[in-house]
Amino acid sequence: MIRITLALLFFIPLSGLAQKCELVLSGRVLDQGTDIALPYASVYLEELGKGVTADSAGVFQIPNLCVGDYHLEVGHIGCEPEHQFLSLTSDTSIIIFMHHHTELLDEVVVHGSREDNTSQASSTIGKASITSESNKNLSDLLESISGVSVLRNGSGISKPVVHGLYGNRVAILNNGIVQSGQQWGNDHAPEIDPFVADHLSVVKGASALAYGGNALGSVVLVEPGSIDEDPHLSGRVNYIFESNGLGHTLNTQLEKNGRFAAWRLTGTLKLRGDTRTPDYFLTNTGKREGNIALQMQKKWSKKWQSDFYYSFFNTEIGVLRGSHISNLTDLELAFTRDEPYFTEDNFSYSINAPRQFVQHHLLKLESKYFVSEDQVIGLKYGGQLNDRKEYDIRRGGRTNIPSLSINQYAHFLEGYYQRVLENNWRIKSGLQFQLTDNANEAGTGILPLLPRYESYTPSTYFIMQQETGAWFWEWGARYDFRFLEVRQFLDADPPVVEKVQKEYHNYAFSFGLKYRLNPELKFSLNTGYMLRAPEVNELFSSGLHQGVSGIEEGQENLQQERSFKVVGTVDWFVQEKLFIQALGYYQLVDDFIYLQPQDEFRLTIRGAFPVFIYEQTNARLYGSDWQVTYTPVEQLKWLTKFAMVRGKDLENNLGLLYTPADNLFSSLRYTFDQKGKWQNSYLSINGRYVWRQSRISEEQDFLLPPDDYFLLGASIGTTVQLSEGRLEFGLNVENALNTSYRDYLNRLRYFADEPGINISLRLNYTFKS
Amino acid sequence: MQRSKFLLYSFLFISVFSLSTCNDDDMGPEEPVELITTLLYTLTPDGGGTPVVLSFRDTDGDGGNAPVVTTEPLAAGTTYTASVSLLNESETPAEDISEEVSEEAEEHQFFFSATGADLTVSYADQDADGNPIGLVSEVVTGTAGSGSLTITLRHQPDKNADGVSNGLIANAGGETDIEVTFSIEIE
Repeated sequence: MIRITLALLFFIPLSGLAQKCELVLSGRVLDQGTDIALPYASVYLEELGKGVTADSAGVFQIPNLCVGDYHLEVGHIGCEPEHQFLSLTSDTSIIIFMHHHTELLDEVVVHGSREDNTSQASSTIGKASITSESNKNLSDLLESISGVSVLRNGSGISKPVVHGLYGNRVAILNNGIVQSGQQWGNDHAPEIDPFVADHLSVVKGASALAYGGNALGSVVLVEPGSIDEDPHLSGRVNYIFESNGLGHTLNTQLEKNGRFAAWRLTGTLKLRGDTRTPDYFLTNTGKREGNIALQMQKKWSKKWQSDFYYSFFNTEIGVLRGSHISNLTDLELAFTRDEPYFTEDNFSYSINAPRQFVQHHLLKLESKYFVSEDQVIGLKYGGQLNDRKEYDIRRGGRTNIPSLSINQYAHFLEGYYQRVLENNWRIKSGLQFQLTDNANEAGTGILPLLPRYESYTPSTYFIMQQETGAWFWEWGARYDFRFLEVRQFLDADPPVVEKVQKEYHNYAFSFGLKYRLNPELKFSLNTGYMLRAPEVNELFSSGLHQGVSGIEEGQENLQQERSFKVVGTVDWFVQEKLFIQALGYYQLVDDFIYLQPQDEFRLTIRGAFPVFIYEQTNARLYGSDWQVTYTPVEQLKWLTKFAMVRGKDLENNLGLLYTPADNLFSSLRYTFDQKGKWQNSYLSINGRYVWRQSRISEEQDFLLPPDDYFLLGASIGTTVQLSEGRLEFGLNVENALNTSYRDYLNRLRYFADEPGINISLRLNYTFKS
Repeated sequence: MQRSKFLLYSFLFISVFSLSTCNDDDMGPEEPVELITTLLYTLTPDGGGTPVVLSFRDTDGDGGNAPVVTTEPLAAGTTYTASVSLLNESETPAEDISEEVSEEAEEHQFFFSATGADLTVSYADQDADGNPIGLVSEVVTGTAGSGSLTITLRHQPDKNADGVSNGLIANAGGETDIEVTFSIEIE
């Protein structure tokens, strides 16, 4: 299922003197996930039209080469071919990493450099998977990682849940900058096009010291990766058609190492109409999206390099018409329906209220200077503008006036310093400053749920690491000062604006170890203690939250959450055929902030509404993520993933709301041997079983969590090698049995079933000029 | 040369981005334009006499002070012509929201449901499609007793669904704009 096309090479010039056409290119082909040699890989030089086959240890040698530029293509069964540009001036030896076991890759392995080493566990999704499922949004792609679930509001709006936590408690870093938007809302998806990423990683850590963003451990990284050194234009065009919702997705990516700077341009267009459950259309669940991103890299000198990145994300999403309700009576009526109110008999691409319209700009500038071989200083700036408008069904022709309209500006500045000391000691440190200005746009005609606020957060961190033989260990600390100024409106005549100021001191400590007993057995342990300051929605929310028909009220005197988490992992490779990765974690959060339903119902002219107030309790989360891969022969791969998490409110002895249910995923994939121009032809079948969330009691929710379900999927695909590029075809079936089911983490479970069968057809053309 | 240009453009870009946050306006509080503070249900006896007024008032909107509900007794065995009036009394002069409802009559319908009290409500008005609205209704009281009457206003109900034009709310759908309950005394 998961393939990655990221290449890492180490060039080692062997002889200084270049003689004419007597150069030797030699090397070794290894699997990046396991470091195991890939035997009999094919190595092909495009300029010469000839190639060699590596031996059983993955070693190859090509003699009698002239000085010049070469494009190298390396192939191996079940791997995406690797392409590399080489400017040959002397005898050269290279190591080529391929992605035979992409499911075993983590963030450290992907980057492959020592400065990225960490004891924190992580899992990664590569470019091939991102491309083949580019019709999906960021969170849905992340769901294939064990331990990650997705909180949804229909199929168009979703956000990741990592180790049972989500929203304010999970930071998402887009190109190293903390994504800044309205993360507090369960129906607010991260505004990121995953196609810009070279890979996506989830760091399942105990504390995220180097990353800002008021998170509680886990971090999602969206990494565009660096641009190849190839001076020729290359790129890809990707198109996906989906049968459910008649969706079209078109992606293009172009890149070149130009004369002035290396650049990469990425664009995405998406259009989808109403999706369909096995029995009825989900009216008004269409989606439109258009994104563009430009990335540039410039090496001013050997010591100094700069990066520029700008992306613009732009989307309009419909929310199921039948899920728009006003009071508790409406909600309870909706439960009794076989199909939601306002269900149309016909398919439509139109998007009406309720709908969301969101735009997000990100500008990033980074400059790095290598003071000496073992010292680097850098400066990073990230500016973001998030513009969110939500439209409801309103009286008096006001449906086209947004009922929620928020602009958020965020600026981030970081200076960092890294240095390698004696005895393999390494230090990383940084100073950061974050400014956020969140303002309600006037003219909605509705009292805003959140007041206008500004927050200022200066921070500093320090990490120390040492690698000695089989051991790697690290410790670190972080401090944030968070200053919040909120402009609250007091309901007086005339109304008064009152400035409320809040200050928080957040600190975090972490300690981690890694130990490699032998090449087949590795252990890691990571512990962390950290504080999270309450967010503005938790402090100052006041008003009706339409989606849940409840009145939500913040509390100004909330304390910081204090989290202690420990994560342990075991990676065990048995006989190069069986790979077992197990991860366990235990987290205690004191003063955990949550919405507590109150006994009172508030009487309004629209009826009585339940009242929820942000309160604090002590919470405990623990769980484990498992991944087992078995490859009895090279052509066959069996992959199984399992994740469980238990969340408990210890004071009230209740399950934590929105804790994901246990889930199991298994896939079997057969890859055919290469036949002429046809490469990587495969057949795959997969199944996913999700248990019922049985730890939520009747008093905690309007409805008990839905039943367990099983989904079957299958895919086939192949690649044709053309003279100038590669053409890939793929056919993928999701929910092949057209099962009717509902998922606990989808708010629409109150109203409608999940989408039924979806067949997607994919074409991808990758070229190099 | 190129380097300094690049830096200059970068600097300009950042400046533009930064300046855009300097609009330090203290925006006034949002005026809730769709607020309905008051529902008056006025029942005028057909033979003449003093009208009976049931009222629900929440002048500061949701939250804040609790709403004030007043009722008056109805006479047994009497036919009343009743009208619903919706107001936004947080503004001066008070805004008449019933007008908005009557302008969008096809998209609105009131529902009346009595429990306990011997009382029937039937529609006495129609929208352009010939479906009821409920701004005007007829109330017939029976024997003396007590109970309650719930008045509901639905926005975008399915007026063609089974029984909806006869006042059956269960199949109506749509969003509830108003749901108030009065205690009823028939003397």
